[in-house]
Amino acid sequence: MTEITLFGRGGQGGVTLAKLVATTYFLRGKYVQAFGVYAAERSGAPIQAYVRISDEEITVHNQVRAPKHIIVLDRTLIGPHMLAGLRTDGWVILNTSEAPEAYAEVFRGRRVATIDATRIAVENGLGTKTVPIVNTTLLGAVARVYGLEVTDIEAALEEMKFGGGNVPAAKTAFDQVRMVELPGQPIVPVAGEGDERVLSLLDERLVGDEPTIHTGSWASRVPDRHELEPPCNHSCPAGNDVQGFIQALAKDKVDEALAILLKTTPFPGTCGRVCPAPCMDACNRNEYDAGINVRELERYTADHGKLPLPTKPHRKQPIAVVGSGPAGLAATYHLARLGYPVTLFEAGGELGGVMRTGIPAYRLPREILDREISFILRHGVTVRTGARVDRQRLLGLTNEFAATFVATGLQELRALNLGNLEPEFVEQGIDFLDHVRRGERALRGLDVVVVGGGNTAMDAARSARRVGAASVRVVYRRTRKEMPAIAEEIDEALAEGIQLHELVLPLEVRRNGSKPLLVCQRMKLGEPDESGRARPVPDTGPDAQFDLPCDRVILALGQSHDLSILPEGAEMHSEDGSVLLGLSGSPVLAGGDFATNEGTVTAAVGNGKRAAWHIHRTLTGEDLFPPPAKPLAAPEEISMHVFSRVPREEGVEMPPELRRRSFAEVRLGLVDDPGHRPALVEANRCFSCGVCNQCDRCVSYCPEGVLVRDGVGQYRFDYDYCKGCGVCSSQCPRGVIFMKDL
Amino acid sequence: MARALVTGNYAAGYTLSLAGESNREAMGCAVGAYPITPQTEIIETVAAYKFSKGRMVAVESEHSAMAVCIGASLAGARAFTASSSNGLAYMVENVYMAGFYRLPIVMIAVNRTLGPPWNIWTDQSDSLMLRDTGWIQLYAAAHQDLVDAILLAFRIAEDHRVLLPVLVSMDGFLVSHTSGVVELPELEQVERYLPNLDLPHRLRHEHPVTVGGMTFPHETEHHRKGMIDAMDRVPEVLREAIEEFEPVFGRRPRGAMAADFTEDAETVLIACNTMSRTLKNVIRERRKRGEKIGMIETRMFRPLIEDELRAAIGPAKRVGILDRNISPGSGGVFWREITSALQGHSDVLVQDYLVGLGGGDVTPAIINEIIDDLVTRKRAVAPIWKEVAA
Amino acid sequence: MSTVAETAHKPEHDCLLRPGSTNCAGCGMSLGLQWLDEALGENRPVMVIPACCGIVTAGKFPTTAYGVPTVAATFAAAAAVGTGVSVVQELNGDDHPVVCWAGDGGTYDIGLATISAAAERNENIIFFCYDNEIYGNTGGQRSSATPAGVRTTTTPFGKVETKKDIMSIMAAHRVPYAATLSLAHRDDFMRKLATARRTRGFRFLLMLSPCPTGWKSEPTQSVELVDYAVRSGLFPVYEVFGGTHYRINVRRDGTPVEEFTQRQRRYRGVDVDLDIVRAQIEQRWQFLETMERAFPVAEDRR
Repeated sequence: MTEITLFGRGGQGGVTLAKLVATTYFLRGKYVQAFGVYAAERSGAPIQAYVRISDEEITVHNQVRAPKHIIVLDRTLIGPHMLAGLRTDGWVILNTSEAPEAYAEVFRGRRVATIDATRIAVENGLGTKTVPIVNTTLLGAVARVYGLEVTDIEAALEEMKFGGGNVPAAKTAFDQVRMVELPGQPIVPVAGEGDERVLSLLDERLVGDEPTIHTGSWASRVPDRHELEPPCNHSCPAGNDVQGFIQALAKDKVDEALAILLKTTPFPGTCGRVCPAPCMDACNRNEYDAGINVRELERYTADHGKLPLPTKPHRKQPIAVVGSGPAGLAATYHLARLGYPVTLFEAGGELGGVMRTGIPAYRLPREILDREISFILRHGVTVRTGARVDRQRLLGLTNEFAATFVATGLQELRALNLGNLEPEFVEQGIDFLDHVRRGERALRGLDVVVVGGGNTAMDAARSARRVGAASVRVVYRRTRKEMPAIAEEIDEALAEGIQLHELVLPLEVRRNGSKPLLVCQRMKLGEPDESGRARPVPDTGPDAQFDLPCDRVILALGQSHDLSILPEGAEMHSEDGSVLLGLSGSPVLAGGDFATNEGTVTAAVGNGKRAAWHIHRTLTGEDLFPPPAKPLAAPEEISMHVFSRVPREEGVEMPPELRRRSFAEVRLGLVDDPGHRPALVEANRCFSCGVCNQCDRCVSYCPEGVLVRDGVGQYRFDYDYCKGCGVCSSQCPRGVIFMKDL
Repeated sequence: MARALVTGNYAAGYTLSLAGESNREAMGCAVGAYPITPQTEIIETVAAYKFSKGRMVAVESEHSAMAVCIGASLAGARAFTASSSNGLAYMVENVYMAGFYRLPIVMIAVNRTLGPPWNIWTDQSDSLMLRDTGWIQLYAAAHQDLVDAILLAFRIAEDHRVLLPVLVSMDGFLVSHTSGVVELPELEQVERYLPNLDLPHRLRHEHPVTVGGMTFPHETEHHRKGMIDAMDRVPEVLREAIEEFEPVFGRRPRGAMAADFTEDAETVLIACNTMSRTLKNVIRERRKRGEKIGMIETRMFRPLIEDELRAAIGPAKRVGILDRNISPGSGGVFWREITSALQGHSDVLVQDYLVGLGGGDVTPAIINEIIDDLVTRKRAVAPIWKEVAA
Repeated sequence: MSTVAETAHKPEHDCLLRPGSTNCAGCGMSLGLQWLDEALGENRPVMVIPACCGIVTAGKFPTTAYGVPTVAATFAAAAAVGTGVSVVQELNGDDHPVVCWAGDGGTYDIGLATISAAAERNENIIFFCYDNEIYGNTGGQRSSATPAGVRTTTTPFGKVETKKDIMSIMAAHRVPYAATLSLAHRDDFMRKLATARRTRGFRFLLMLSPCPTGWKSEPTQSVELVDYAVRSGLFPVYEVFGGTHYRINVRRDGTPVEEFTQRQRRYRGVDVDLDIVRAQIEQRWQFLETMERAFPVAEDRR
């Protein structure tokens, strides 16, 4: 008589495999017996089943204690306990992806066959991921090892009514099983006696002891934690910890939120108003209801948080920064915070660069900008205004300073030849905005055309409205979708009565009596260009050209950098996002739009920060650059179903009829009311993608109570007991908990 | 102590109530109760008692009646109930539970024939159905025996050497509904006789035991062995309970096997409940005629104290057993068990007589016929039916 | 929205369901016990558990997965054994809650008469039914809680009959408090347990209890399945005060019922006419919404 013991887990199909093996031999005319040991254990718990095969009637009904063969359905069960009573003349069949040799120690001197039945079963759609049903697959391996034929498998499966993926799975296993006779002397363990206490209901020692079952042995997968990169952080050009500051806000800790922002940017108040906020486009909550209003939260933080006391320089190496735009100021700030004495050179009379000259006050009030610049300067910064740095001076700086950062921005304005016109008829947008700022422009009763689709175009159009223009038209050669301007700003402009003419290219200005006419060409979108946007091409249909009557044309076509400051032979090469100029003296870096032309305050801020880190690393060897980014927290990592739908807090803005005539700030932001704190509500909408915020949901939802938090942020899985159900991973709202195979 | 003319049911209900009330300084008492003829008057009597610390819960079934007793007993209270016939049958799994949980619950089983066909009169098919449940079984022949058996029942059940439930049986109608003269105890006496119940395994938050948690074969053997050991200690505890009974109540209950006229008897008859009283009257008459006949009244059937039984039978050559019950395919239950008890100890002739099934009136004439048969019998045969008059 | 806990909650007392229970991975009952534990806090219960997975999970005597005194009752008898315990506790001024913890078999089927009687007597017990819609302990047979269209080992071609409306039965007893509990709505769950704890008399709680083994679903998805059942309206989350006053706590949101059924293999291989299921949902909601309008719960009642 041949006796076989099977080791499996409840629900895995071990008893059924015993029946399948028995059926195979029954169909060959043998007497067989198959049975399982039934107890209290459930799905996932280790169980045993037995098979007997004989030429005569089987009259033994005891458990098998000295099997010839064993079959192990789950590799996590494999251990020396399986050797108890095991004869040495049979086969050990293991469901594992490993080769038999991997078990050379435990099954020394025995014949071992391995088959990756789990993979084959999953590939054939048998069972669930947590509990794959491997029995029919294993039958294939068993048949091969015991010297049976494929037809035997087919007959047994048919007899037990297993169709579908079961037959191909079994055949695959038949072909793929690996059989080896392991070298060495087999281990034959000596049976030991259990020392279990037998207590009656009336025993005084009966106190309700804890279970001795370590249910961790049931698990084939266990949870673990990892942090992922939130898409907002990933997309922030300034490198802000967006998730971090919003989570602080969510706990109503606005000062903490500000401190988090100030680690990476001195301009939360400015960026909280003018940033195009790629983080908001990247926000995973867009996939659910509406993305987080990060810009308004950043602004709220800047406007409500308490600024810390500025640090003072304590290092010896002086640093020069040339240009006081966002990149220069950001570099100044980070260097000053690192303790360097910084001297800031600005050619003009005021600091702020494009933030001051190019962005109208109704978007960025001067006091906000002044406050943020002042905070930077209070870190012990020396300011030299009216100090234009030319090629020669730059070379001088490399001798006076330990390092120099050049961020003079974009000086060259792109133009459009519209014909020979009086100078005041066509004006560059940047100049126009600067004049408006100084109160030097009034366009009362005039019809104005603004050419361009960026923020400067919008700013110019809306400013023209505010200085009295009768009508303002924006003409753009592509469509609104391709416009680089912030979407909200376009909306606000339209609300203020500005007209947008899409797919229009101005050709020339003609005089028709006293009223000039702008001759325009209708365009259509063609193939994408190198920037990925559709290239506008002239429309050839009738009426493809038309006239727009106008009194003023404002050009906002973008800018390019003026490289005249660079000494001859200076070679620019990029490193860690900074551009190095290969000069002979101390290191010179270039950044901001001057070097990158990224075109936003936020990008410039990030650029300035990286330049500061670069300089610091060059001078001290200390590396402040963050480690390589973690994997991105993609939308599918987020358990969105655990969140309630909550409408986005949009913040308050001034009504269009009031703001058309005023340079007062249009947006008032998230305004606290006694009964409603929109910033708090909005911050609490944040999924905190990929970053644990100690919500404790995993703890609350662990069915076994084996996931505990010992202190703030310290979570512990008790793997001795965790059954690997994975509920914690599915309930973790932010993808921090994942299941790993054992 | 007051001599009173009351029904058996009243006597039982009254005594149970005093037993419950006497635990008022401890955890009190609780009753799960459900009516069934001929037991109903017992729970009505209990319902009318105003407990200082106790409650009767009138439930929806006998199954729940016992379940309430089990819950109450595990919570530490003195718990008791009463039932009959199909009520006991419906209760069975919980009767087992009370036994297996080692709970000192006392239940009166007013013997009634199991139906269908429906029959309200006495036989012992109901209480004997419960013989393997782990309950001690006392059988009370008449009113005073009943009162005393109930008092002994609580004493034995709650003794820490025992901790098993006790069933006290009496004949339906013949005792339950018959008015008789009886000495009823006073509360003060009961309080003196019954110590406060201290259930060692009652539910305690400091020891979160799962009562009834799963046991494997080995533990189950151990558990059952504990019950057997407890049963083995009952004779000793019963003797003590009887010893201490007299100083309190002024009378002495008889023990497990009450033998009369057996010292020189060649023929001994064994009977239970009211039949044993009739039998005694008949034997007394026949003794006057010089017949060497004796008798044993089985007052306790679980545990069956075999050596006491054998001692009581003494040198007799013939034993006749009156079974008011039947195990189809076997015979009388008492007969089978007593035969087994004598196995290997004696070659005495043992003959079974099935009599009074379904509540038939077992008259002296019938018993005389039985004795006439027995005294001339040379060899035992299969159980003999003695039909009663229509 | 997730709730942010400032400090770890680690109770001083023994846990109600200790690690090492023999429940399957992803068992809804296990999670229900964890939340019951948390809701009762220092008010440790006595558990009375009839035949069901709930008692088997205690494991091998003398050890136990229950950290509170627990009684295994016969299948039908939980409410009666609970009555006995509760009666004696009341006589002795002991206010530990008595919780009868039963599956749907012990509630809808074999235990119904006992529960009905205890409810009618208004015994001071919490009767908690973890309803996995199946005789799970015996390997998956139909109960009267099994919904129409589900395949079980005793309805191999799919159950034809509708799930019994146990809540209406309990409400008809005019019990002080009856409520349904969703494992996907923790705040509501905990609030109801607090209400049950404060209320005296018979309290009936019905929890839809996902059973990965019986439902043939992924253990990981247990809580999500309940969420789909609630959102589709298949398992309405509501409470009834005094048997008459209704309040629906979670509205259905138009989630298709397929979200629930398609994730479980027990719904496969049978001709489930989901139109019938949808019609039943409509009918049920019409009833509940009518009751809620006609007999609303006072605003301040929590």
